[in-house]
Amino acid sequence: MYNSLLEITKDLQETFDNSADLTVRTLILQSPERRKAAIITLEGMVDKEGLAQAAINPLMAYRFGAETPAQMVDTILYTVLASSDVTAFEGKEQLLTFISSGFAVITVDGAAKMIAVGAQGFPFRGVSEPESEVVQRGSREGFTEPLRVNMSLIRRRLKSPDLVFEQVTVGEKSRTQLMLCYLRSAASPKLVKELRERLAACDLETVLAAGYLSEYLEDPHTSRLFSGVGISERPDTVCGKLTEGRVAVIADGTPAVMLVPHLFVEEFQGVDDYSNRTYYAAFIRTLKYLSFMVSVFLPALYTAFAQFHPEYFPTWILIKTASSLSQTPLPVTLEVLLITFVYEIMKEAGLRIPKSLGHAVSIVGALVIGESAVTAGIISSSTLMVVATAAICSYVTSPLYPPVTMLRFLLVIVAGVLGLWGIVLCTALVLISMCSKTSLGVPYLSSLSPFSLRTMRDVFVRASWKKLGKHTIKVQNFAETEEIK
Amino acid sequence: MNREVPFSSKRMLLTLTLCACAVILLQNHELSQRLSFPLTLGAMAAGLAVCFLFFIPSVLLKSRHNTDALTLLRSRAKPVRALTAAICGASFLYIAVYFLLPYTEMFCKKYYPDASPCLIAFLLLGCCVYAAVKGVNVITRFGIFLFVLAMTTNLLLFGGCVSSLDFQNGGAFLSGKPQDFLQDALYFATPCFIAALFACLCGSAKQFRVRHVTIALLMTGVKYALVLFFIVYAVGAYAARQEYRTFVLSRVAHFGSFSGIESFYMALSTMSVFMILSLLLCGVTKSVGKPGSLPLTAALTGGIFVLHWLAEQFPFIKECFTCPPVLIGFSFLTAVVLPAVLLIQKRRQHA
Repeated sequence: MYNSLLEITKDLQETFDNSADLTVRTLILQSPERRKAAIITLEGMVDKEGLAQAAINPLMAYRFGAETPAQMVDTILYTVLASSDVTAFEGKEQLLTFISSGFAVITVDGAAKMIAVGAQGFPFRGVSEPESEVVQRGSREGFTEPLRVNMSLIRRRLKSPDLVFEQVTVGEKSRTQLMLCYLRSAASPKLVKELRERLAACDLETVLAAGYLSEYLEDPHTSRLFSGVGISERPDTVCGKLTEGRVAVIADGTPAVMLVPHLFVEEFQGVDDYSNRTYYAAFIRTLKYLSFMVSVFLPALYTAFAQFHPEYFPTWILIKTASSLSQTPLPVTLEVLLITFVYEIMKEAGLRIPKSLGHAVSIVGALVIGESAVTAGIISSSTLMVVATAAICSYVTSPLYPPVTMLRFLLVIVAGVLGLWGIVLCTALVLISMCSKTSLGVPYLSSLSPFSLRTMRDVFVRASWKKLGKHTIKVQNFAETEEIK
Repeated sequence: MNREVPFSSKRMLLTLTLCACAVILLQNHELSQRLSFPLTLGAMAAGLAVCFLFFIPSVLLKSRHNTDALTLLRSRAKPVRALTAAICGASFLYIAVYFLLPYTEMFCKKYYPDASPCLIAFLLLGCCVYAAVKGVNVITRFGIFLFVLAMTTNLLLFGGCVSSLDFQNGGAFLSGKPQDFLQDALYFATPCFIAALFACLCGSAKQFRVRHVTIALLMTGVKYALVLFFIVYAVGAYAARQEYRTFVLSRVAHFGSFSGIESFYMALSTMSVFMILSLLLCGVTKSVGKPGSLPLTAALTGGIFVLHWLAEQFPFIKECFTCPPVLIGFSFLTAVVLPAVLLIQKRRQHA
């Protein structure tokens, strides 16, 4: 608790180690005692013009009577300030949080109570279409970095008083503000409570992105190959999930909003599915499931067939593949691994280098690695085609890219050692691992296993809105225990 | 993770059916060489009827007291628990080796002649440890995917054989001798081991009914009948000289130039045996009172591996481990005697 302005200023300068961006603007108020006041801000975090209009000008112009410092604070709070976002508080902890969040803090000499004025004016990226979730029809708005903007994007779509935003702060150093967002009528209270407890258990010093927290939101002792936390940058997607009883975790400073519980079948659902005709949505979904299977299994099956079971190739493919493979120096397993590895390197390089150099990488990749390596007889054209097909298919379900890549490598190695039998065994293990995975108590493979015919209306096919709109199936209903229902 | 999560009884039904299908996949080579189609169908009906009878005590225990034999035994004195665990452990270990042996044998004869049966068993058992530690609920969930694979394989298998059907083929199979009836009936009664599994694991299944068991056994019967029908009329006399006739059937099946159904057959038999072994391991750990315990599961798996190795080394041990009457005897102990004794005791307590 502070007693004087000097004390506050001194303490802040010590805390921030005389940081250059800490600004303390001292004013002399028009009162009989000519009492001092100060406006504390962090340079670059506030809108100076807005602050002058909302706080500095009215403060300078107002004539105070013979009031105690505490009464003056109340007068400023209720009479003087021309801002809708004002909060009175006490203590250093809150002072630091408000200043760091871009608020201007007004303090009067001799008063313990302080006032935070919302005058944030830091630069931020505007609302734009998220690159990772492009849609043909539907909203072009995507989340951006500031928390309040993201909250407004959700509130604009769900104008229900049921919509709750609950603030949580994590990160000892970063003091990152999070918002738990849910529909009171849809989300299970037990689920929200569990989520609150998991976030409270987060002991990170800094939280700079959604990925920092997703591990804390996952169920303990469950497989980590697939993610039990969904990520979306689209407010319409998040609103849709909220109506199904999910909880969104919005972190300040990142456009990626986390959604829990998250199921495997959601990876194959897109916003466009709900705008397109049902038959076309079903076709696209089927395509996505097939692409997923091809991206995981095709290189491994090719390896197993070429190395152990050539009789499974149709004769005309067998002849071409055999002649192509016979001209290369490496065994087929190593060849597949090598090309997959080179492809991953090129993909990483393509992602990290400046866009202007991207074309160069494409040319080098296509011409040097692709054509030249085949012409030189280092790799076979059939292997190249198989790996390329699998790589393209893996982008159809881009959120599953990390597990798919790892599985592809694993299966190719197993297929190279044990053949088709190895693939079968490995698939059984992965399925067991997926069957045992839960996301906040809800089985990750829900709808498929445990199988539910009622929920299949939005898995491989998308039922018409007349059917979908009648009963929204809540995600907590998938849980097999009463823990989160 | 809660390993005692209750699961749908339909999933249990599915698991039972799949276990039974695995029996068909592996056991078909054991049938009498002088197979008569009508007589074999009769033997099948008799065998499956015996299986049904094996289910009755544990179904009664489940429907009247909503529990299974092992859960009920938890409150009993330590020596009783130890005796039960020993009976269940011995039964399930025997059954595990009983299925592992023909699987590795078929695998090495038909798919990878260079592979060592012990290595195959070792790798398969290693995977089973992981599944068994995850619990029965997870394995029954896995069963749903296996069911899809089974349906696909069956469709391909039977659909691919339709073009090969020749009703003149059956001549070789229509002159069976009645004395083979008993032997065949014994083989068809092999699914009674599922009743033993059911007696130990049904406690977690919700609202199990007799009709579930009936449907499971009927589905098994239909599958048996279809397999036999296609073996007799699509493969014909060639099958009579072959072992692993279902495998031969999968090799014969084709759709124009598309063949290679035996790869689906191999995948299905591998996954089915994987599921049976995992469920058996779950049964043993539950009988000891430590479901999901990794050290115990690993130790038991080691035991199965050693037994398998011994059977591979010494033919007389192998004969002991592939003897259907012994399997039926063990299943009888676990599926009938144990639940029946508990039922009688319960009735006396209530009286």
